[in-house]
Amino acid sequence: MSSRRTRSGPILNFKAVLLGEGCVGKTSLVLRYMEDKFNSQHLSTLQASFVTKKITLPDERRAQLNIWDTAGQERFHALGPIYYRGSDGALLVYDITDQDSFQKVKSWVRELKQMLGSDITLIIVGNKTDLEDQRAIDYESAVQYARTVGAQYVETSAKENEGVTELFELLTQLMLDQRQQQSPLTAATAAGGGAHNHSDAINVADDLDVDRLDDGQEGNNESHRSCCGI
Amino acid sequence: MATSSRPPSLRLGQQDLKCRLGCGFYGTPQCEMLCSKCFRERNDKQRKKQKAGESHAATGSGSSNNIERRLPKPKPLEKEKESDQTSSTLPLQKKKFNVPSVLQKTLQAGQKIAQQRGYVPDPTESQFILQFRQLRIPDDGKRKLKSDIQRLDSEIRKYMNNYSSKNVDELSDLVQNTYTKVADIVHNDPRFEIATNEDRDSAIDFFEKVVMTQNHKYLFSPYFTTDEENDVKVQKRIRQLSWITAKHLECNIDEVNAEARDLVYNAISELVGIDSFYSPQEKLQCTVRCCRHIFELLKRATGGPASADDFLPALIFVVLKANPVRLHSNINFVTRFTNASRVMSGEGGYYFTNLCSAIAFIENLNGESLGITNEEFDAFMSGQQPYSTPWESALLACESLHLISENMKRMEVLQKRNTVISTGITQFEKELIEFQNEVTEKVDTVMAKAPLNLLPIKTPSYLISQARSHLNPENAVAAVGGHYQANLLSNSIQSPPTITNHTDSSGLALKDTSIGRLSPLPQHQLHQPADQLFASPIFNYTPFDAVSLLEESSSEPADVLLLGSEFHGGLTNINYDFDLSDQSGENSTADESKLNLDEFDPLRTAPAATPAPVIAPHTDTVAVASAATASENSLLDTTTDSLIDSDLPVTNNVLLPSPLKPEVNYRGFSNFDIPSISCNTGEFSSLEPTSQPLPGSDQ
Repeated sequence: MSSRRTRSGPILNFKAVLLGEGCVGKTSLVLRYMEDKFNSQHLSTLQASFVTKKITLPDERRAQLNIWDTAGQERFHALGPIYYRGSDGALLVYDITDQDSFQKVKSWVRELKQMLGSDITLIIVGNKTDLEDQRAIDYESAVQYARTVGAQYVETSAKENEGVTELFELLTQLMLDQRQQQSPLTAATAAGGGAHNHSDAINVADDLDVDRLDDGQEGNNESHRSCCGI
Repeated sequence: MATSSRPPSLRLGQQDLKCRLGCGFYGTPQCEMLCSKCFRERNDKQRKKQKAGESHAATGSGSSNNIERRLPKPKPLEKEKESDQTSSTLPLQKKKFNVPSVLQKTLQAGQKIAQQRGYVPDPTESQFILQFRQLRIPDDGKRKLKSDIQRLDSEIRKYMNNYSSKNVDELSDLVQNTYTKVADIVHNDPRFEIATNEDRDSAIDFFEKVVMTQNHKYLFSPYFTTDEENDVKVQKRIRQLSWITAKHLECNIDEVNAEARDLVYNAISELVGIDSFYSPQEKLQCTVRCCRHIFELLKRATGGPASADDFLPALIFVVLKANPVRLHSNINFVTRFTNASRVMSGEGGYYFTNLCSAIAFIENLNGESLGITNEEFDAFMSGQQPYSTPWESALLACESLHLISENMKRMEVLQKRNTVISTGITQFEKELIEFQNEVTEKVDTVMAKAPLNLLPIKTPSYLISQARSHLNPENAVAAVGGHYQANLLSNSIQSPPTITNHTDSSGLALKDTSIGRLSPLPQHQLHQPADQLFASPIFNYTPFDAVSLLEESSSEPADVLLLGSEFHGGLTNINYDFDLSDQSGENSTADESKLNLDEFDPLRTAPAATPAPVIAPHTDTVAVASAATASENSLLDTTTDSLIDSDLPVTNNVLLPSPLKPEVNYRGFSNFDIPSISCNTGEFSSLEPTSQPLPGSDQ
């Protein structure tokens, strides 16, 4: 009976905010993700600032992901707390060719840590890997920084559709794990083999890391653990 | 509400001011359009009636009840009216945005009393009952849901009535906890086992909607909060910020575009409509609709799905231009009393969050966030700096005014262009003047460097004059240099060399004729035109005659000599020359006798023979002229003759004089080798025989 309820019960709802300076490609990331998964008809709906999507992870856990885009302009920076209040995850996007956008990410991380503590899943996203020759922040330093703040680091290219789907799956994965950690009661009722599922999730996440980030695998795993271990 | 006796128009007639009972005195609105005497009488009557009759089981609003009591009404009708009243006032209550917010609280107080008196299901409630029946959940679940609704309802009322120190957060927590509990029951209670997830969600929605609608009056902008003060503050603030345009916010809204304006209007009406709904869900739906209009607008403006970067400024613009009533109260009502998950997730939650942040942005707005200096911002806020926005003019709902502002904008653009052009013109003028100065300067410097020396020109003139004085006696040299001198020297000087030329040429002609026939002819042609070019036709004739005379006298023996030896050659020469003269003659005189001219050559000699003897003995110039005319006339005559007669008998007779005449004619024609001149002279001589004697007589 309990297992039945997991299937038919309410799908876990996650809210993730997209933070980052203007023109780093937040909207492009969302558009790319939605475009690839849904037919274009879905996107013909007016906007790309709020998207919602049901995700079935490889381990058959399901979740509904709500992605909230935020205005990146500096003058709206102060409005950030209104958006990320109550969110389960945050994608901190920066442009790998733009040092300023990386600094902005750092300020966002500080703010989020201050406001929400460690309750929020953080993924730092280095976008525009298609502009590798103009790179301003090298991969190692970004990974290093992510590790120190307990966040994941992912590099994507919305233009070339590299790592976009993986990014959102990783996010869902981490948020699911986080939710289960936060409320063991829910986790216990949610799935009979909660522990089993959990380990699965980690494995999948690791696989993702291996697939995409060869040389930074160790660092990523560490940051992943620190993220989940809280 | 009951005092609907107010005339619809603003202008009041004399009759409207009179007492309604028709006593002739003026009534006052305070006394419900009765005069003071009638009003008092009626009130007394009513009070008596109230004492006697049963108390009103009124369910309408307090204010309407009060008015109702004052109205004089027959008793049997009263009950009917009352039921009408309840049905009519409640929809009005629903659309309570008509009621000023100041009245709201008193209204609520009245309602509270009214509801405690008795329970009559109003349309909204009956609608809920209908919806409740339609809920596709098991009856057990329905019963449970109903009891939960009633429990929360009573809890809220208890809280509102009993607690001395009220805190809205406590109330919010109470409601939120109930929501969680209900959601938990609906999802986990076995009584809801068979229902689908959607039905369970709709049950939870229904629960929230019912409780919130029924308790809206208590929970919306409760008197123990500062919501109303904040409403006023925000409203004032937005009014102060009316000068903000889409440009300030850097949003892609074309305020002038009619289509965009319509969409903004739609968004605004939805935003304003938030206040007219009771339940948080409906308010959120309004927000969603408003935002969808904005997205539609942005999609048209940018051509693609709009991102948050575009959306938020646009929403701020719409909020600023809408200035919705009781903004804070509505926002707070939703955040406090709607299901927390609804605001935290979902489309409605996202848009609502954006709305919240838009309000936060407006409240904390400064010059920096608008891209203007703080001084400018202050000037705008204090109203020191005048402004006009296309949107404001559009809001006046006057199309022509909007057109004016549009035109003003266009005019401004044109004015700018005009100034650009005019500055360009002045600049160009300056440049031109500069250029002119530059050129003159350059010329001056060049002139200074290399001054214009007129001496080289002067000295030759002196030299020429000197040379002329030297050359004049020497006629032989002048024959060659005469042409050059003629250009430089005056007419008086010119005349002597021409004379000498004439003499020379005539002399040469004489010599040439004496030498041979063929050679002198071109020589004459070469020499003579030079003089004739400068001479008038009249004067032209004189050398001709002179020469012809001279030649006639001299050529006669030469011809005689030639006859014997080269008769044929002479004839062919003459013929050949006549051919040339024919061509010149075609242009001028011989148009009518073109055919004849072809046969001219042999016959020409025949008629020429007859005048030739006449010329030979002649001494008078008049005779020559007459001979010339005769020859011309004879041309026509002889041609006719030539057609009829054969050549032989005539030619034999005219063999001797023929060379003589052609020579005269030839000479005449050869002189006028330039067609125009020859034509003139030919005509002159042929058509005006009378004028010829004049130059001839002069000679």
